[in-house]
Amino acid sequence: MSEWPGQLLVSVLALPVTGAALCLPLHRISDRVATAWTLLVTTVTCAGAFMVSVRVSHVGPFSHHLGGWLAPWGIELRADQFGALVGLAAPVFALVVFYGVRYSRHAVEAARRGPYDALLLINLGGLLGFSFTGDLFNLFVFMELFSLSAYALVAYGKQKVAAAASFRYLVMGAFSSLLVLFSIGLLYQLTGTLNMADMAYRLADGVPHRPVVLAFGALALGFMTKAAVFPLHLWLPDAHAAAPSPVSAILSGLVVKMGIVGLIRTYDIFQGAGGVDLPTFNMGLSTLGAIAIVFGAVLALIQDDIKLMLAYSTVSNIGYIAVGLGLFNESGLTGASIHIFNHAVIKAALFLALGALTFRTGYRTVSDLRGIGRRMPITVGALSVAVISVVGVPPTAGFVTKWYLAVGAVAAARPLLAATLVFSALVMLIYYLRIVNAFYFRPAVHEEVERAVDPPLDMLAPVVLLSGASLALGLIAQVPIGIALPGVMRLLGGG
Amino acid sequence: MPVEVWDIRPALAPMVSFVCALLVFIGGSRAGWRRFWSMSAALLKFIIVASMLPGTVGGVAYTFRFAEFAPGIGIGFRADALGMAFATVSSLLWVVATVYSIGYMKGERSLGRFFGFFALCVSATVALALAENLLTLFIFYEVLTISAYPLVVHDETPEALRAGRTYFTYTLTGGGVILLGIAMTYVVSDGVLAFGHNGIVPPDTTPAVLAILFVMLTLGFGVKAAIMPLHGWLPRAMVAPTPVSALLHAVAVVKAGAFGVVRTVHDVFGVELLRQTWLPDALAYLAAFTIIAASVMALLQDNLKRRLAYSTVSQLSYVLLGIALLNPWAAVAAVVHIANQAVQKVTMFFAAGAIQRTTGKTNISEMSGIGRRMPATMGAFGVAALGFTGMPLLAGFISKWHMSVGGFDSGMWWVALVMAASALLNAAYWFPMLYLAFFKPVSEEPTLGEARPSLLYPTLVCAVLVILLGLVSDLPGMPLSIARTAVAQAFGM
Repeated sequence: MSEWPGQLLVSVLALPVTGAALCLPLHRISDRVATAWTLLVTTVTCAGAFMVSVRVSHVGPFSHHLGGWLAPWGIELRADQFGALVGLAAPVFALVVFYGVRYSRHAVEAARRGPYDALLLINLGGLLGFSFTGDLFNLFVFMELFSLSAYALVAYGKQKVAAAASFRYLVMGAFSSLLVLFSIGLLYQLTGTLNMADMAYRLADGVPHRPVVLAFGALALGFMTKAAVFPLHLWLPDAHAAAPSPVSAILSGLVVKMGIVGLIRTYDIFQGAGGVDLPTFNMGLSTLGAIAIVFGAVLALIQDDIKLMLAYSTVSNIGYIAVGLGLFNESGLTGASIHIFNHAVIKAALFLALGALTFRTGYRTVSDLRGIGRRMPITVGALSVAVISVVGVPPTAGFVTKWYLAVGAVAAARPLLAATLVFSALVMLIYYLRIVNAFYFRPAVHEEVERAVDPPLDMLAPVVLLSGASLALGLIAQVPIGIALPGVMRLLGGG
Repeated sequence: MPVEVWDIRPALAPMVSFVCALLVFIGGSRAGWRRFWSMSAALLKFIIVASMLPGTVGGVAYTFRFAEFAPGIGIGFRADALGMAFATVSSLLWVVATVYSIGYMKGERSLGRFFGFFALCVSATVALALAENLLTLFIFYEVLTISAYPLVVHDETPEALRAGRTYFTYTLTGGGVILLGIAMTYVVSDGVLAFGHNGIVPPDTTPAVLAILFVMLTLGFGVKAAIMPLHGWLPRAMVAPTPVSALLHAVAVVKAGAFGVVRTVHDVFGVELLRQTWLPDALAYLAAFTIIAASVMALLQDNLKRRLAYSTVSQLSYVLLGIALLNPWAAVAAVVHIANQAVQKVTMFFAAGAIQRTTGKTNISEMSGIGRRMPATMGAFGVAALGFTGMPLLAGFISKWHMSVGGFDSGMWWVALVMAASALLNAAYWFPMLYLAFFKPVSEEPTLGEARPSLLYPTLVCAVLVILLGLVSDLPGMPLSIARTAVAQAFGM
């Protein structure tokens, strides 16, 4: 029972949450010590999560039963392929925190920095716990951990809208949590278990049952809100744009993906449940996804504020994932699952690069940042690479996703969907070009821009690493695909 | 079928120049460093490509595959005869073009960016020429699209930015259509995308699906091949510096489109399968229309670079026409014209650039007597112009001859008429200019003499190539012989 992978799983979940508790007292002692502690905990946790993913990719999913109590009775921690994809993205979190050290000195006042660090660690614990649990109630607890910390982190934004955005995020988030909790209660009543695998087994008798459908609806709707699937995305743009850049990177890159992971868990649970019409749900999901892609793209391109543009691009990218899930065939699901990881890398690169520009100049709109390309060549170069990746131009990570989704749509005989996938990205590229043109080919309008230089190495390195990864992951795509594929096969009922 | 031999060179050729391109970006602000790595990239790549030529002649296809990107498809390279025909020309001309652009761009700004993307473009071109499967080809096709953009907008004027946007709108839309076509091919062929089997698409595909696929792939690639009415981006992209125009219009971008169509016909569908459909005929008529219509458009242009642009539109459709006839003779014409047109057009662009840099003139009507002032430059220009009119012993003749024979051979006599009309139109828009240049009096007083050596010598080298390609093109390793090998493989001979 007490083999090392299981212990690793436990420590990956326990470490950040307990570590967060120490942040506040340490901060009283010294700012430096608290920062070092946060970095240490993040690094160790993320390395651990990464190792869990490596283990899953080598030997397949594994479980740990807390206290040795076996599955239906005890609490099960489980690392499956989709959790492993989140674990694979954990280094993104670590890089963001590294970057955030200097950034938060500049963006967060000293007195609020202790809670800020603690919230980050709680968020990390919530994300990983959510991904690595086999128990539906624990899923809810971890969901609340990352959600509550996210609401608070948004409020750290300096602009006036931050408080309002945070509040709106809180309301929508609470609504979705309520739905999930309601569904969990219902499911517990129906099946007498909280273990997800056991629940799926008990629901698979195929008897149509109205409360089962209700539970499915509530769970799916709750997770769709968390994932900001159109039209439940309303909370997202302001929240992601108002937060400090490192927080935006985490929210857009990882936190919204939890809704997607939740949806995949929903599929797992209701796979054979009677009365649940998955094909119809999938048709609806892929259609909403397609609308989200176009909607997000169009709204992104009318923004002057680059952060809002990136936030709408997240709406669009969640649309891609929703389309892939809704297609529910091998290519579609593969595309969707690897995009959980790919988009985390790409979007983090974009937000961090933009954060660096804001850090140096104080500006964040396309028109204010004209001419910055010559002053901060490495940062803007990294930003350009990430832009090319996010719109899915080969040979980047974004292209791999687009390819899988396009093949999935063609295989499902939905050419219109395939065309939407391909061409909305092109529309975006044409307008992203506006940014690149403004940065490189237009004269500067502000003196701050003229004086700017690339940020110090501790901020620059994460940006360059993430941007390089968003390019390289197109060439070594077999790594995430290799992890995702067995999970996809399981969802499709093939093993 | 060629024998496949595992060898790293097909992958090495683009990789070496990608690395050099990166080095150019990194230290691009220093002229010496920039020059050294630009030249290294060009030379190393040419040496690697040339070292594979004996193998190609001997019926070997060097192959190298990276780890699979997804089940059944990976990034892979394979130097077959068709790919080598394109790769050899582009890597050779790149060496010349690099020398020329070092001379031409002297004193301009943002040169690190310029030479970095210049190198990236040609690396991507060689990579797509040697691509082993359709997806690899597409990946580098798009890399080429992206890396040509900073060159088009190099001047950073509003006009250049507008041209860049037009360029992106056309080419990326084409790229999107190609991507959909490839995804469809992948589904239809059950996961096969590799070239070299005279067709990926299974023979039992329904005619409707075949038609959709063919239209998507040929028109998608046709955007860069500037087939009418998809040619609008090309004349506008003329705002770019002249070496870029030469590169875009002769070596890299447009030829990538034409090459894509050749691959589509020979390796995606296969000659046998297409013979049973009306699809290639439709392509042939469209190409014939483009040849004539673009030449007429060229007649109307006074700006030399714009006239060259429309001439390019016309000449590219030679390749499409030749490939669409599904006849071995015409196919040889198509493949060899990739080389012939490249060399001739580069010569003319270099000459045009030399004139512009030396005298500041860009319009043909101002070039009265320029041949007396710059006899060597204009002489080179004249050789290439004669080549385009199909004068025997020059490169263009080889293409026209094979094309006409192919037309008669396949029962399409009108092809020879199109060739004759095109020759006449070429004469109509180049001869008056040559007359103006050599026989009219010099319009203004100060005689400046020839262009500087770094502009003149590359131009002359290209002119010599035009003659060589007309005289000894069937020697082993020269374009005609490679084209024959490529066509023999495609037609299963």
